[in-house]
Amino acid sequence: MSDFTPQELNIARQYDLTSKTIPFLDRHLVYPIVESLRDIYDDKVIAQLSLDLFKDTYMTQFVKDQYKLVQGSVPAELAEKEAQIEKTFAQLNEETKEILSVLANQEVQDHLKQDKSLNKEFLETEHGITEAKINKLLEFGQFQYNRGDYTMASDLLSNFRILSTNQESVISATWGKLAADILRVDWEQALKELTKLREVVDSRSFSDPLTQLHNRTWVIHWSLFPFFNSENGLEQLLELFMSSSYLSTIQAASPWILRYLIAAVVSSENSTKNNLSNPVFQKRLKDLIRVVGQEQYQYRDPLTDFIKALYIDFDFNEANVKLQEASVILKTDFFLQNIAEVFLENSKHLITEVYCRVHQRIDIAEISKNLNLSKEEGEKWVAHLINETKMNAKINESEGTVILEHQASSVYQQVIEKTKALSFKANQIIASTLQKQE
Amino acid sequence: MSRFFQGGLSDSDYSSSEEELLSSSEEELLNSSDEDDLSEDSEFANDDDSDDSESDSDDDQKGPSYFLKKSFVKDESDDDSDDDKKVVKSAKDKLLDEIRGAITIIDSSKVINEWDSVLSEFDKLNRLLVRAGQQNVPIPNMFIKSLVALDETVTNFNSDPERKKLNASMSKAFNTVRQRVKKSVREQEKLVEAYAENPEAFEKDDASYSAQSSAAVLEQEETEAPIKPGKSAHTAGIFRVLRSVIESRGKKNVDTADQIKQLEEAVELASTPYEYISLYLRLIPLRFDAAANTGLSPEQFSATAKDINALFEVLEKNKATYAVLETAAASDDIEIEPTPNANGVCEILGSVVSFVERLDDEFTRSLQQIDPHTTEYLDRLRDEQLIYTTIVRAQLYSEAFIPQAEISKPSADQLSRIIVRRIEHIYFKPASLISLNERKTWESLAFVSQKSYIAEYSDAADYTDKLLDALSSVLYKQTTATYRKRAMLSHIYYYAFNNKYYKARDMFLMSHLQSTIHSSDAGLQILFNRALVQLGLCAFRNGLIQDAHQNLFEIATSQNLRELLGQTYQRFNNQQQQQQSASATDRQRQLPYHTHVNLDLLEAVYLTSALLIEIPQYAAGVLEESKQKQAKTFGKYLEGHEKHYFQGPPETTKDHIMHAAKALQKGNWKNAADLLTSVKVWKFFPEAETLRNQIREQVQVEGLRTYLFQFKTLYSKLSILKLSQLFELPESKVSAVISKMIFNEEIAAGLDQVSNTIIFTKGVKLTKLQELALSLADKSVQMSERNERLAQQSNNSYNGGSSSQRGSHQNQRQHQNKNNSNLKYAPVTGALSSAPGSISGALNGMDRRKRTTTARA
Repeated sequence: MSDFTPQELNIARQYDLTSKTIPFLDRHLVYPIVESLRDIYDDKVIAQLSLDLFKDTYMTQFVKDQYKLVQGSVPAELAEKEAQIEKTFAQLNEETKEILSVLANQEVQDHLKQDKSLNKEFLETEHGITEAKINKLLEFGQFQYNRGDYTMASDLLSNFRILSTNQESVISATWGKLAADILRVDWEQALKELTKLREVVDSRSFSDPLTQLHNRTWVIHWSLFPFFNSENGLEQLLELFMSSSYLSTIQAASPWILRYLIAAVVSSENSTKNNLSNPVFQKRLKDLIRVVGQEQYQYRDPLTDFIKALYIDFDFNEANVKLQEASVILKTDFFLQNIAEVFLENSKHLITEVYCRVHQRIDIAEISKNLNLSKEEGEKWVAHLINETKMNAKINESEGTVILEHQASSVYQQVIEKTKALSFKANQIIASTLQKQE
Repeated sequence: MSRFFQGGLSDSDYSSSEEELLSSSEEELLNSSDEDDLSEDSEFANDDDSDDSESDSDDDQKGPSYFLKKSFVKDESDDDSDDDKKVVKSAKDKLLDEIRGAITIIDSSKVINEWDSVLSEFDKLNRLLVRAGQQNVPIPNMFIKSLVALDETVTNFNSDPERKKLNASMSKAFNTVRQRVKKSVREQEKLVEAYAENPEAFEKDDASYSAQSSAAVLEQEETEAPIKPGKSAHTAGIFRVLRSVIESRGKKNVDTADQIKQLEEAVELASTPYEYISLYLRLIPLRFDAAANTGLSPEQFSATAKDINALFEVLEKNKATYAVLETAAASDDIEIEPTPNANGVCEILGSVVSFVERLDDEFTRSLQQIDPHTTEYLDRLRDEQLIYTTIVRAQLYSEAFIPQAEISKPSADQLSRIIVRRIEHIYFKPASLISLNERKTWESLAFVSQKSYIAEYSDAADYTDKLLDALSSVLYKQTTATYRKRAMLSHIYYYAFNNKYYKARDMFLMSHLQSTIHSSDAGLQILFNRALVQLGLCAFRNGLIQDAHQNLFEIATSQNLRELLGQTYQRFNNQQQQQQSASATDRQRQLPYHTHVNLDLLEAVYLTSALLIEIPQYAAGVLEESKQKQAKTFGKYLEGHEKHYFQGPPETTKDHIMHAAKALQKGNWKNAADLLTSVKVWKFFPEAETLRNQIREQVQVEGLRTYLFQFKTLYSKLSILKLSQLFELPESKVSAVISKMIFNEEIAAGLDQVSNTIIFTKGVKLTKLQELALSLADKSVQMSERNERLAQQSNNSYNGGSSSQRGSHQNQRQHQNKNNSNLKYAPVTGALSSAPGSISGALNGMDRRKRTTTARA
């Protein structure tokens, strides 16, 4: 529990997405999210949740601790299980030792080539490594992952992937490696894995479209981890989520992801830089508004409401209220904590922008109130804005207003704008066609 | 002798099992080929000519189950004399005689190279064989003999120099004969080989066969003669009655009424379940036969329903020992009970599901025939409860034999058929009515112990939803696409009708039916249109004007709206080939009146949504290219309305809406709202009052927009306060609407926060020339874009797009995105732009086919 007011807690709990995202995440991946819920729930609840989460895994030490927290005692069968796990571990360790030592051999490494079937032949004849032994690697990798030794799991799985020729197992190893990398907080590696998975999911022809849909929802959910934590992740997230197939996946199967999409669009770097003239951002915003409007009936939270209030209903007061609520969510949501500040800053920017587009004369007092700033701060804010975006606006200090000059572009200007690029384009087409003929 | 009985038996079952095999498109083909058969038959069944032509013309009006009777018609024409017993003999012998005669002609004609007569006789021979097959007469050996001989002659003659001397028509006939003979030889391969090995055996068999058959006939005559049906109470008597009935089934001049009476009496005498079951299994089809041409009268109908239910009762009581299955083996002798299978259940061949289906067909047919505005129709409609209960009962019975795990296997087909029927009875009803129906049904079925694993009845409020979900999900698991589509569309219709717009819409979009519906049969296409219309009405009820307009646009403006919705069988056709009332299939396609969509309502909804969307656009003056296309229809109506010299007070729905449109254009939103809400058909919507309020609100907003567009040039400033008073809207709402217009650059203006006014930018009124210049510029941009795309496409196809510049790459991506941005709606518009049109296209296609068949006939 931390420093939130009861109302804020209420909002945070009401819009907590954990229960919705859990089905799409791996057990281990849920843990950090559950951990982050400490802000809004009791420690006791969290302990219970973590216990439920890990009861079936091999992380006995951790489970013991949680039992102590929740019940005060550790059930007897746990010790038994622990022994069992130790035994399996020793066995698997023994079984994979051989192959690992072979792989560690410099000579062998030099021999390995691009072609997997060749490699397999080579290993089998020279070192007696059969398919079954290779598969042990996968098993051990899964075991290690389940034990919570993610680094080891990641290594094992990547070794397995190099050797195995079984397409299915390679894919599941890739999923496993992605999870392990996420949990090791190795974002760079995780992103690489993610790209591989995306290729698989998008390119493979699934017999059942539903399977592909499921795979996509997993990609979407898992990718939230690296995207929100790595540099330039937001850009990549937008590229992925805004692509048509993923956008419709979000709409069809997991509308709550809209929250992250909104957060990413608003907080992406583009929005701070002169966004009126940035076509990429405008396009994304337009798509976002459309999707939010369409999904109103399925999913609502303060973030979607904010977008709706600002861009669909043009209700600035409402937008402001929703922004306040959204700020709580941003601070409590596991993924959004990093970008909370940027988001709030940028959304103020957006409000002002729309405000200026519609108005000709603005009362500074009014807009300051809308932005939750004091009057002086508001004036500064506006001055800063004018400076930054080179808007055609002046502050009338004595009246306390801002006057904005909307210039209707003249007809001539419009026609020139539209037709300006035409001849260039035509030339381009001709050039490329000629090139092709050559 | 048993062979005859077997023939009779399998024939009667054939008719019922045939029903489900036929999709409606096949029906027509079969029908036409059937007619060919008939005309051919009359050649030798000469004393029956008049009868034949009668049944021929009857065929056109027999309604939904006309194809059921096809097999009966066949039988009728087969047997032509009055006396049953003689018939058996003469039909068979006559057949053999015919075959013999044809063979003789062939033999003589082929010698003198009269190939055209060989051809016609050979065709006739093949037809006779088909009939022989129907009567369970094996292929006569003399046919094989002659076939082999003919084959030889043909092969020899083909290389003969004389062949070249034939004139054109003979040569053509010869070629045809050659092909047909080859085909026949292939079909009868085994027999032909057997003949080649041992021709003598064939000669002998032939003789013995005819002897045997005549002996059988004689024997039969003896046994049949002393029967006095229904007089004695013994089992033997019951089966004697049964046998006589089976025998005469489908024959001419049999007094079915009398037979029914006999059977009814026999039922009273019956004592064992097996007797009951056997009797009912004959009695019920007989009842259907009795009214084959006229349709069941209400009395007959209830009698039949009673019998079916009685049959169920017997079956339910003796579930452990007897079962009527479609998959059971046919028994040779009806007197002997079939031996129980491993579980101790005697399986009897028959299909209770087809009885219920037939009953349902009869019901629909009578509803189609009765004038829907009479009390008779209402009286008839009361029977629906009875039918529905029976259907549910049949479903329960089928469930008893089909375990849940096997539900998607082909063997579970009868269950799917009955579920389709059940859905058909409920999908178009409001939830409250369905639950009422269900309650009554389950009350009357309380004594049935079988529990449904598909959908158990409950009192819960969402029972109907669950029921539909459960029933449809059974059908979704079927392998037959028609069941799946039908279930999907009914499901969508149900949700749309019961005001669950988003659910219905999502199902509609995800079903991807739009892409395949064109190739479905007309019944499904009609259902598709109905679902689409219902979706539109639902959108309107939920205040989603844009969606409603989009859904209804194409279908509401269509010329043959009624036809597309299956609400009439009259067709708009300029060519008057089939002016003579519609054909049987068309009639069959027509839906009973109580399931119809209210067309007035459809029109009102469409016009109102069009008004709300288009009037502000008109006022705005510059219509965008894409919108203009849609706007046309309403504009046309409006223009037509303005042309009238005298405009009286509004009377029809359309008048009201046109007057409202004019009022709105003048800025008089109150008047417009009054006119719109006074339209009478709204009362057909469940929550009329909220709907009226909703329309009023919409008119307020659109009125404000129209006002601003219309008069923006006359003002330099407008007070928001005044606008809010004028349109009775809260100030915040007014400023929201205006903000939106400014943001979307619909009007050139800005708000003044201090004085709370809207300030219009001056000097933006365009001259005509300037407007044209702008649109010219737009168009050239479009053209250039199109050009670019074209160039890129060819580029990509040649070199994989590797050489295209970076800039164009980006453009391309934007293009893709633009297309994809519509992804969610794309299927709907796709459907709208093509579905109704192509459906009428499909109907026309059918016309053409029919024309050719009539020409052939």
